[in-house]
Amino acid sequence: MAIVVQLVARPILPEDWKLVPDGSEGALVTFAGHVRGTESGNAITALEYEAYAPMAEQELRRIAGECLAKHGAGRLTVVHRTGVVPVGESAVVVAVTSAHRKAALACMDAFLDRLKQDVPIWKIRALPGDERGAGRACPD
Amino acid sequence: MRLLFFHTLREYTGTVVLGLDLSSPIPAAGVWVELERRFPGISRFASTTRIARNREYIGPGDLLSPGDEVALIPPVSGG
Repeated sequence: MAIVVQLVARPILPEDWKLVPDGSEGALVTFAGHVRGTESGNAITALEYEAYAPMAEQELRRIAGECLAKHGAGRLTVVHRTGVVPVGESAVVVAVTSAHRKAALACMDAFLDRLKQDVPIWKIRALPGDERGAGRACPD
Repeated sequence: MRLLFFHTLREYTGTVVLGLDLSSPIPAAGVWVELERRFPGISRFASTTRIARNREYIGPGDLLSPGDEVALIPPVSGG
């Protein structure tokens, strides 16, 4: 069971998450969560994310393992940003492979639900103007 | 014990990391009693905050020991 987890404080690149199905994998499902231009009805230019990085990486890995096993999927890669993420850029990208379509789709859905429920990452503020800068320092 | 604050709890306390001297293990829920002395009113966050010990979620009755790294985890919002 192959799992790759990354937290990055820069734009997510295709090579961060790209999975190439091997000969046994007939399905590759990808999901990218992008920052929208409105938050709670107000126009924004960016969201700022904070993570308890060591635990977030550990939780992502644990949840990925559980979801892959439960749904019989093959491999999962997840990349999540920290710091300031401008509108239109990806805050998270997930890729899942499996032998057949349904396993990868179910694994992806379950993994994203668990990510939003259990992984210590927070949207700490929405930036209303041109206020893009470095992310806030976190413990560890 | 090393106590880490994030997001709303960091804003409320103005603190990122706090050292708490424990003479013996305490239940996780007891951390709110200790914190209330330093940050009056902080207990209002207890019902929505999860506690992690050494990077794993624990329950309110699980014990915290002097060498533990303890994080107070407000409702998460990643993704």
